[in-house]
Amino acid sequence: MLAYLIRRLINAVVTLLVVTLVTFGVFFLVPKATGSDPALLYVGKQADPVAVEGIRTKLGLNDPIIVQYGKFLKGIVAGRDYSNGPDITHCSAPCLGYTFKTNQEVWPILIDALPVTISLAIGAAVLWVLMGVLFGVISALRRGSIWDRGVMTVALAGVSLPIYFTGLLALSIFVYGLKWLPNAEYTPFIDNPIKWFTGLILPWVTLAFLFAATYARLTRANMLETLGEDYIRTARAKGLRERTVIGKHGLRSGLTPLVTVFGLDVGALLGGAILTEAVFNLRGLGYWALQGIRQNDLPTILGVTLFAAFFIVIMNLIVDLLYGVIDPRVRLG
Amino acid sequence: MSLGPETSLHDETTPTADAAQERDPSEKAIAGRSLKQIAWRRLKKDRVAVGGGIVILVLILIAILAPLLIKLFGHPFDEYHNDKIDPTLGLPLGKLGGISGDYLLGVEPVNGRDIFSRIVYGAQTTLTVAFLSAFLSTILGVLFGMTAGFVGGWVDSIISRIMDFLLAFPQLLFSIALVSVLPQTMFGLNARWARSIVLICVIGFFGWPYIGRIVRGQTLSLREREFVEASRSLGARSPRILFREMLPNLAAPILVYTTLIIPTNILTEAALSFLGVGIPPPFPSWGGMLSDALQFYRYDPMFMIIPGAMIFITVLSFNLFGDGLRDALDPKAR
Amino acid sequence: MAGKTKVMVAAAAALTLGLTAACGGGSDDDNSNTSSSDTGAAFNASSTKVVNVSDKKGGTLNLWSPQDADSFDPAISYYAWTINMNRLYSRTLMTYTPKVGADGLILTPDLASAAPEVSADGKTYTFKLKSGLKFDDGTAITSKDVKYGIERIFAQDVVPGGPLYLIEELDQGQGYKGPYKDTDPNKLGLKTVETPDDSTIVFHLKAANANFPYELALPGGAPVPQKRDTGAKYGLAPASSGPYKFESIQPGKGATLVRNTNWDASTDPNRKALPDKITLTITTNAEDMDARLIAGTADMDASQSGVQTQARTQILTDEKLKANAANPNNGFIRYAAIVSKVAPFDNIECRKAVIYASDPTTLQTARGGPVAGGDIATNMLPPNILGADKSYDPYGRAQGKPQVDKAKAALTACGKPTGFDTKIAVRNNKPAEIATATALQAALKTVGINAAIEQYDGSQIATVAGSPNNVHKKGYGIIIAGWGADFPTGYGYLAPLAMGSFIAENGNFNFPEINDPAINDLFTKGLAEKDATAAAADYQAANVKVMDGYYFLPFVFDKALNYYNPRLTNVYFHSGLAMVDFASLGVSDGK
Repeated sequence: MLAYLIRRLINAVVTLLVVTLVTFGVFFLVPKATGSDPALLYVGKQADPVAVEGIRTKLGLNDPIIVQYGKFLKGIVAGRDYSNGPDITHCSAPCLGYTFKTNQEVWPILIDALPVTISLAIGAAVLWVLMGVLFGVISALRRGSIWDRGVMTVALAGVSLPIYFTGLLALSIFVYGLKWLPNAEYTPFIDNPIKWFTGLILPWVTLAFLFAATYARLTRANMLETLGEDYIRTARAKGLRERTVIGKHGLRSGLTPLVTVFGLDVGALLGGAILTEAVFNLRGLGYWALQGIRQNDLPTILGVTLFAAFFIVIMNLIVDLLYGVIDPRVRLG
Repeated sequence: MSLGPETSLHDETTPTADAAQERDPSEKAIAGRSLKQIAWRRLKKDRVAVGGGIVILVLILIAILAPLLIKLFGHPFDEYHNDKIDPTLGLPLGKLGGISGDYLLGVEPVNGRDIFSRIVYGAQTTLTVAFLSAFLSTILGVLFGMTAGFVGGWVDSIISRIMDFLLAFPQLLFSIALVSVLPQTMFGLNARWARSIVLICVIGFFGWPYIGRIVRGQTLSLREREFVEASRSLGARSPRILFREMLPNLAAPILVYTTLIIPTNILTEAALSFLGVGIPPPFPSWGGMLSDALQFYRYDPMFMIIPGAMIFITVLSFNLFGDGLRDALDPKAR
Repeated sequence: MAGKTKVMVAAAAALTLGLTAACGGGSDDDNSNTSSSDTGAAFNASSTKVVNVSDKKGGTLNLWSPQDADSFDPAISYYAWTINMNRLYSRTLMTYTPKVGADGLILTPDLASAAPEVSADGKTYTFKLKSGLKFDDGTAITSKDVKYGIERIFAQDVVPGGPLYLIEELDQGQGYKGPYKDTDPNKLGLKTVETPDDSTIVFHLKAANANFPYELALPGGAPVPQKRDTGAKYGLAPASSGPYKFESIQPGKGATLVRNTNWDASTDPNRKALPDKITLTITTNAEDMDARLIAGTADMDASQSGVQTQARTQILTDEKLKANAANPNNGFIRYAAIVSKVAPFDNIECRKAVIYASDPTTLQTARGGPVAGGDIATNMLPPNILGADKSYDPYGRAQGKPQVDKAKAALTACGKPTGFDTKIAVRNNKPAEIATATALQAALKTVGINAAIEQYDGSQIATVAGSPNNVHKKGYGIIIAGWGADFPTGYGYLAPLAMGSFIAENGNFNFPEINDPAINDLFTKGLAEKDATAAAADYQAANVKVMDGYYFLPFVFDKALNYYNPRLTNVYFHSGLAMVDFASLGVSDGK
């Protein structure tokens, strides 16, 4: 078990390294290939050669790619020193560097953005799991009924709706039309739990609608499969009450496959719900991702990519470990 | 399938232990039909799937006949009609975003372009991108998946690791970044088709591991089956086994997953256009129209609803058809 | 990148101090440049007079902005609104007079006790500082602090992004690299600036330059105490010489300013300093900000970039809201430049064809219509710069219709009666510019000119559209652009666009590559002119020559529809700052 864990952790670190290396390479090489110059982002109206060269030096753009990447890695592990004119600033580990544009440390920016994305992802996840599983189970139990058909039709519709459309619809109906809800906004939970809730309810519901649809379909399929298993028949034959059969035996193995999917979905969402955050103007990781890309801000892009990959890798790991616990057939080793 | 978090496509096939119990007893009596025939019969009975299929056919027809339709019912997609616009507010004159007999779906705010024409041309781009990128994913997925499953060993572990890596990659982020820095015109094509090719490549590339994983798994199990053993013991070479024996057996799942990846690709293409890195103006795309509608949806909701509904209908049809197709080809996965 | 998403893109290219004068109003041509005042609100009232005149102190001014500041470091600030913000906490030798109309274009002493003494050859400027000037920590402001502040601009490897005029003016071959690399023990090694004593500062220019005082009035001319200079991080905690000092700055989120108790009002007649506190909130949600403005929970959009489309509809369809809004001219012209070095535009007739085939109204609508976009532009001097004449309409654009016959005649004269192919280059991060490009494309198609639109990364304008070599290579015949001057003179506006010496390898703004000796001479003549009116006449003559060459297709004299909280006092459009003067604002309810 320990050996397995260590191997998985090493794997995770390697994956993260490769992700940063690829990101770094692409964003280093693409401007070279297209002939655009990141330094030009930061000069004023007059692109004086002196100024452009000054910026290149400042951003370290004149170093070879290996040196730049090495400095980036060293910053994460040991921190980095930056010259800012009269003195030197130490950016302590884990240091993701400074944004090109605003000269801020990337790490605190992303840590700041994290609660927004976490609130968004967790809130939506709770909603969609509850709704998805509930509707899925009921559908499976009443297979072929009008209820089943109705739920599955809605679910399929839900899967087919882009969030940037449902989001806009929700905004125009509930915020501007009926004025039931305030515009989506993030307030830290500690500051004001009620505002935190009302500000996020709209993105939660919109996001949850999409995922709940998927989960209802998945739950239904898994439950149907499980209910057809021999041991369920045996349980029924033993004379167990239907509630026990479903609750104790059916749900357990019927929902196990959902764990994987759930872990991956949450991991991916934590890495930045770009579209949701764009539609609702929330300043989470997804917002910074878009911001970084639009401004060619390599440190920001690298930071967000690293965070996103980190969540996906970690959730994968957790899912696999959890599997060992819930499903006795799976042995880790 | 490059959208990661916000449009998720899950592997919903979970083979049941015993297929026979699900089957209609009457089907057993019919003998001598090929799998294809059986599947076709099943598909025809599934009215919902057939409905989806018909809508898809209609959409394809619309896309092909776009120039003709616009000649008959519309105006050129880039023609300005400022007389249909309130100059101060920039909003369409008339009710429902300016819908009239002359402008079947109304006009765009600010410039008065015919929404009907733009939707029709949008269908062209959307379907082209979605189909071709699905095709690209399938080719790559089948190629790598079969290689990994059949050859095994270190080849398998490398390909599997690459697939894992790609799945752990923040794909949407990367697609936006890549598409936004690539030039808009290439190979002598105009911005519309050059960008379509970029989109096809990016979406197709990030989609292949999904197909690849499934094909690899299926290949692994087929490799141990008797008929493969038999053909091997008869002295067949690997390529023959791969293409003559195994590929036909993989055709069904490949077809199903290609069909199911198309709606996801439509959503991805629309998302990229929505985020401003898709088909560039003046060329229309549904996602781009939605993105434009962001500025107007409170006072001109039709401008948002029309492209949104088109995306919805198209994706839904593909999903319905894909579901039906899967049920027909693989009744075990209900 | 349309809609809300555009808000997330902080404009990478620097917006600059656009300069306009008196009548910011609609299509009316009234020149009410007296400081008349009134308390009653009416649409656009603040463009021509001070609205809600009051001396009531106290309360908090809540500024919002959908765009982050470029920096609060005076050496970096280059957005028009951060230049305006700078006046709250940093003073310069000279600053704009806080008056409505053309009076606002005149500079008045700020740190200096009087206007500078200029030598007979116009090359030496001597300023004397007022006495009793202090930074927020109580230390005296000396001429050395002013010099040090100016020297910081030279450190482009540490504080890049600001205007470079002072480097061009003062380096004179020294190759000065800024105080951080200065070998002088006092870090005052810039040779062209002398500080004989703590209250005197002398500038030696390379040639007479009527623009020099304006260059000093940019925030880069503010004093910086050397011991508080933190280099690249100075923008997070700049010293204050003005009525307010920063309590906190959080990039991307906002800032809070409180009173600077060491500021002495008796030394500063130019700033009212009414509120006790000023907060700036940066938001990513422009629609939400508009809603707050209308609800009165936010006082003003500090960026003054205009409300979003939906709020525009709401304001313009509600007379009560409309009374609190204004759409002054902000000194920008939106235009298409026709590159005379790219075939077939080397032939003037083909340039004519583009200009006459264009549809003035669709272009105006694409910019946002007459209210929120601007008036149809008729020539290449914004209406409020001295010497400009809006009624000068050589292309007959004001009537609002394309002139297809003239366009076809020009095409024939050009030898291309059936039209030709060309390319329109446009920045991909400016939705309104893309909209004008597509409108122009649609209009050109009607006469057979097939223009393909090429979008390019807007942040790379300096090497894409700004590089003549690249423009020739790519065959960009038409370049969509917008321009606001840094100085309120015809030279400041038009010379960079049309004077031969401004053609640069990179960062070029003379897109058509005009190098006409007659035009060049008029600009040079104007610069040496002692009398402003005579100079204005030279610049207008240059404008006429530019128009005669059919190099530019002007779209609109730019306007932005802004909404002001009715509780704000002393609201007026300042021509020099090209927006409402922040330093005069107060709040009537004292909250």
